[in-house]
Amino acid sequence: MFSRWNWVACGFYLVLSICSPDASSGFVQSCGHIIPESPVLALGSNFTALCILNESCLDFGNIYASQIIWKIKNRLVPKEQYREINRTVSSVTFNDTSSLATPLTCNILADGQIEQNIYGITVTVGLAPEKPKNLSCIVHQKSKFTYSMTCTWYPGRHTFLDTQFRLRYRWPEQIFPDCIPKDVNNSCTIDDSQFFVNTEIWVEATNALGKAVSDPLVVDPIDIVKPLPPQNISITSGLLPTVLQLVWENWISDAVMTLKFNIRYRIAGDTNWMEVPPEDTASPRTSFSIQGLRPYTEYVFSIRCMKEDGVGYWSDWSEEKTGITIEDQPSKGPPIWRIIDTSQSPACWTVHLMWKALKPYEANGVILQYELTVRDKSSLSSPVKKYNVTSTNHTLQLREGTYEVTLMARNSVGPSPPSVLLIPASNSKAPVKNLRTLPKHDKLWVGWTAPNNYVLKYVIEWCLMSSSSDCIIEWQIVLGDVQGIDLKGIKPFKCYLITVYPLYADGQGSGQSVKAYLKQDRPSKGPTVQTKKVGKAEAVLTWNHLTVEEQNGFIRNYTILYKTIDGNETVVTVDPSKTEYTLSSLTSDTLYTVRMMASTDNGSRTGPDFTFTTQKFGKGEIEAIVVPVCLAFLLIVLLGVLFCFNKRDLIKKHIWPIVPDPSKSNIAQWSPQVPAKHNISSKDQMYPEGSFTDVSVVEIEADDKKSFSEQDLKPFDLLKKEKSTSEGHSSGIGGSSCMSSPRQSVSDSDEGETTQNTSSTVQYSTVVLNGYRDQTPVQVFSRSESTQPLLDSEERSEDHAGGADSTPQRQQYFRQNGGQDETSTDRPCFERTKQITHANEGDLVGFVQLQISGQSSQPLGLGMEKNIEEAAVSNVLQTCTEGQTVRPETVEENPLSVDEMPKSYLPQTVRQGGYMPQ
Amino acid sequence: TGVVPFVALLLLQRRPVAGRALLVSGSGCPGHGLCRSNVQEQTRRQVAVLNATAQELFSLYLKCQGEPFSSESDKLCNPAGIFFPAFRVNRTSERKEVMVAMYKLFAFLNASLGNITRDQEELNPMAKELLERLHNTTKTTRGLISNLTCLLCKNYNIFQVDVRYGDSSKGKSAFKKKQQGCQVLRKYVQVIGQAARVLLPHLSPS
Repeated sequence: MFSRWNWVACGFYLVLSICSPDASSGFVQSCGHIIPESPVLALGSNFTALCILNESCLDFGNIYASQIIWKIKNRLVPKEQYREINRTVSSVTFNDTSSLATPLTCNILADGQIEQNIYGITVTVGLAPEKPKNLSCIVHQKSKFTYSMTCTWYPGRHTFLDTQFRLRYRWPEQIFPDCIPKDVNNSCTIDDSQFFVNTEIWVEATNALGKAVSDPLVVDPIDIVKPLPPQNISITSGLLPTVLQLVWENWISDAVMTLKFNIRYRIAGDTNWMEVPPEDTASPRTSFSIQGLRPYTEYVFSIRCMKEDGVGYWSDWSEEKTGITIEDQPSKGPPIWRIIDTSQSPACWTVHLMWKALKPYEANGVILQYELTVRDKSSLSSPVKKYNVTSTNHTLQLREGTYEVTLMARNSVGPSPPSVLLIPASNSKAPVKNLRTLPKHDKLWVGWTAPNNYVLKYVIEWCLMSSSSDCIIEWQIVLGDVQGIDLKGIKPFKCYLITVYPLYADGQGSGQSVKAYLKQDRPSKGPTVQTKKVGKAEAVLTWNHLTVEEQNGFIRNYTILYKTIDGNETVVTVDPSKTEYTLSSLTSDTLYTVRMMASTDNGSRTGPDFTFTTQKFGKGEIEAIVVPVCLAFLLIVLLGVLFCFNKRDLIKKHIWPIVPDPSKSNIAQWSPQVPAKHNISSKDQMYPEGSFTDVSVVEIEADDKKSFSEQDLKPFDLLKKEKSTSEGHSSGIGGSSCMSSPRQSVSDSDEGETTQNTSSTVQYSTVVLNGYRDQTPVQVFSRSESTQPLLDSEERSEDHAGGADSTPQRQQYFRQNGGQDETSTDRPCFERTKQITHANEGDLVGFVQLQISGQSSQPLGLGMEKNIEEAAVSNVLQTCTEGQTVRPETVEENPLSVDEMPKSYLPQTVRQGGYMPQ
Repeated sequence: TGVVPFVALLLLQRRPVAGRALLVSGSGCPGHGLCRSNVQEQTRRQVAVLNATAQELFSLYLKCQGEPFSSESDKLCNPAGIFFPAFRVNRTSERKEVMVAMYKLFAFLNASLGNITRDQEELNPMAKELLERLHNTTKTTRGLISNLTCLLCKNYNIFQVDVRYGDSSKGKSAFKKKQQGCQVLRKYVQVIGQAARVLLPHLSPS
C-alpha cells in the first residue's frame, strides 16, 4: 500500500519538476540536460553525448543515470551504446554520425515503465566546405567609364549545411569589401573594377564545420575585359560599285585600351557571313573600307572588338547595319531558251522565247528592259527584227528555218553582254549519252556523257509529270564543260521528266530524256483489278495503270494474288507494262478472290479485292450439249408431227368417229343409166378374200380416162358445182391420193374391227372423171357409206375377172388397220406422181372408179398400208402438193385401151355427181 | 563614398602636412605578391589615362558648374591661390625622386578629387557624366597610388612618404566649392601633362 502511494507521489513530483516554473530562470526546469547542445557534426565522424541529471531529481524522484534511455527520432538507441558515467550522467556514443537523426532525446524509464523525456537536442550533420576551384573572372564593360567584374568558381560538393561563399579581392595595400553572392554559390559580380592594378581575387567558403579558401587569382582587370561592341556604325557607299565604307565609335578610349576588330558582312537575305581578314583590322581604328563587294547589293555588317594585344575577351557582335553598293552594268546576258510549237503547221513555228531574270549579282542593278534581236540566218536578205521587252518571255511567229536570237538586259548603267541562242531548222546534232540521275539529299543530280563534238552549252529541261495537267517546263543552261548538275526544288515522291539538249556552235542536238524521282515511296493506292473474261479454267484480268500521282515511284512490277475461299493464295508477278493477265488452271465453278499489288523500290500497295466465279462449263461445251439435244428434240417433234400427220385420220377417227347413217344410203338411188365405166380390177385376184379387214381400194386405169367421153362426164358437173371443193379437196376420198385415199377409206370404218364387221360397213367410193351430160367432165369423187351388202356380186366378179391380167401391174392404194411388214412401194408412188402429171397434161378424161372389197383385199392391204406410210413420210411435201394424183404409173404400166379395160360396175347412182362427202 | 583614403596618409589630411618616407625591406612591402614587374607599365598607363582624360574632365566640370565658370574660367579657376603639390622633376631627375614626387601629387589629387566628387554629388547630382568621370579619375588615382606604393616599397624600400593635402571644402559655400574644384582641376590638367611627359622615359618598358 505504501509502495503504491510512494510511486504515485514520485510520478507527481516528476511531472511537477518538469513542468513547474523555476523561480530563478523563469523557464521550465527540467530534470537534466544534454551536452553538447545542438551540435553540428561532420558526416561520418563519431559523436558522444552526455545526459546529466539534476541532483534535485535524484532526491525527490529516485531517478538515476542507470534509468536513462536514449532515443533518436523516437527510435531507441541500443543500450550497447550507453555508458553510465556516474549516478547522474549517462553517455551515448555513435561511431558514425550518418546514422544520427534529429532529435536526440534523453529519457528516463521510471517505475511502472513510464517513459519520461528529460531533454532533447537537434543534431545537424554535414560536411565541411571544399576548396572552391576554377576561379575565373571577366570584366564586362557597362558603359564608357564603368566596368563590372564577374567571377565564377566551382563551389565543391554539397555540404548539407549553410555555407557562405565570399569573393574577396585586394590591392597590394588595400582590401576591398567582400562580394557575397546572391541566390547562388558559384559567382559574384564586383561593380567597381579598376584597371592597371594587379588585383588578387579569391573565394572563401565557410560553414559550421570549417572554412575553405580557393587559390588566389592575380589579374589586372584590363586583361580580362570584355568591351562593349562598337556603336553608331554608319555605312557609306563610295565611288566604286564594289566598295562600302564603315565608320563607328568605340566605347573605350585608346588611353585606356587600344582595340582590334573583326568585321563580318553578308548579303542581305543570305545566312553565310564573310569576314574581313583579321590582320586588316588588327589595329585601333574607327573606320574601314570593304572592297570586292557586288554592285547594287545590300550588305549587312557587324563589328566586334577586343584588346589589341588579344588578351581578354571579344566583345559581342555589334548591332547589324546594312548598306547597298551602287549599280554597275549587268555582268552577263540572261540565259535564254525556246519552245517551238509546230502544231499549227510544220512550216510555221510558234516560237516561245523565254529567259531567266538575272540574279541580283548578275544584274548589278535594276533591269529596265530586255533587248531582243532575231535574225533569220537562212535568208540573209531578211531584216533583223528587234524587240524591247520588259517581261522574261516573248512569242514569235516564224517560218521554219534557222534563226539567231540575241538578248541583252539593260539597267541604268548599261547593257549586259549579249546572250545568243541559235534556233536550227532541225535538231540533227549528236545527243548526249548515258543520261542518268542520282538523288542527293534534297537535290536531284543529273549527269550525262558529253557527245564527241565540242558542246557550247547544255540545256536541261525538267518538269513535274502529272496526269491532270500539262508538264510545266523548267530549264537551266550550263556550260559545255559541265556534265552534271543538281536540280533544286525537286519534290520527293514526284516523277520528273528530265531532258538534256546539247547546244553546238552550229546547231543543236536532239534531247535525251529520263524519268527520275528524288525519293520514292510505295504507291498511294493499289491497282483495281477486274475480270475481262471468265472461263471454266481461266480468267482474263484487266486493270488500269496507276496515275503518275499515285505511283510515288517507278512501278517495278505488279503482283496478282488470288485464292479460293478456302485455298492458299497464289501469287503471280506481272510486268509493269501489262494491263491484262490471264489466270489459268483455275477450278471450274469456283469463287476466286483476286487483288493486285503495285510495287516500287520502296514498298507496295494492294488494291481492293475482286471476286469472280469460274464457269461450270467450258467454251463450246454447252453448245455441244444443247445443239444435239435441240436437234434431237426437233427431230423428235418433226417425226411426231409427221406421224400425227400421217395418222391424222386415225386420230380424227378416234376423236370424231364417223357413224354411217343407213337412212341416207344412196344405194337405192344409184342410176343404172349412168354407164358404169369402171375400170375396176378384180379384187379377188389381187387380194384374196379374207386378206383385208377394212380396206378401201382405188383402182385407177390411166387408160380409162380415154374411155370416158365428155358426155360421160357431164353428169358429174353438178357434183362439182355443188361441191365447192376442187380437185385439191378431193383428198378426202380414199382413192384420190396415194396417201390420203386409203386413209380416207379407212376412216369410214372402224379400226380394229374384224372382217365381219367390216363387211357390214362396206364403203364405196367413186371417182367420176367424165362430164355429166353436156357439161365438162370433171373429177368427181363419190363415196358411199352404205352398210348394205353389195348388190351385184356377179358383176364385181366379172370385173375382177376382166382385170385379172392387169392386176399385178396395177397399183392399189389402201389402208388397213394392223401392221405387216412388206417391201416398200413408195418409189412407184413417186413415179406415178410424175406420170400423172403427164397424164394431166394430156387429157385427163375419164374417171376412175374405186371399188372396195373389204373382205378380199384385207391380207394384202396390211402390207400396203405400211408402204404408203413410209412413202408419205419421205415424200410428204411432194405428195401433198400433187394432191389428187392417182396412179399415173398405170398409164405406163397398163397400156390397155379404154375399151379393153375391164368394166367396172358402179354400185350406186350418184345424183348429179354422186356421192357428197360428209 | 568618393574618397577611399590611403589610410596611412589621409589621416594627416586635415592640415597641410608633410609625410615621411619610411624605408622598409622589400619583403615587408604590403601585398608584395602583387608587386610584379608589370606595375611599372601599369603606372605609366594610369598616368596616360589621367592625362588623356584630364582636359575633358575639366571642360565638363566647367560646363556643369554653369556661369560664371563657363565664361570666366580663367579668372575664377586660377590655381594661383590654392595649394598644389610642387612637381619639380623632369626627365633627367632620378627615378626615385620622380616616384616620390608622383606619389605626393597623386595622393593630393586623390584626396582633392574625392572632395570635388563629394561636392559635385551635392551640387550637381544630375550631372551623371561628370560624376562618372570624377569617380573614374579618382579610382585611377587610387590605383596609381597603389602602384606607386608598390614601386617605392619594392624598388626603393620606401613605404611612407610625407604628403600634404589641400584645404577641405567642407563647410564652404557652393561657389567656393565649385571654385576650389575648378582651381584644382585646372592645375591638375597642367600638372598631369607634365607628369606624363616626365614619367614616360622612366617607366617605358626597357
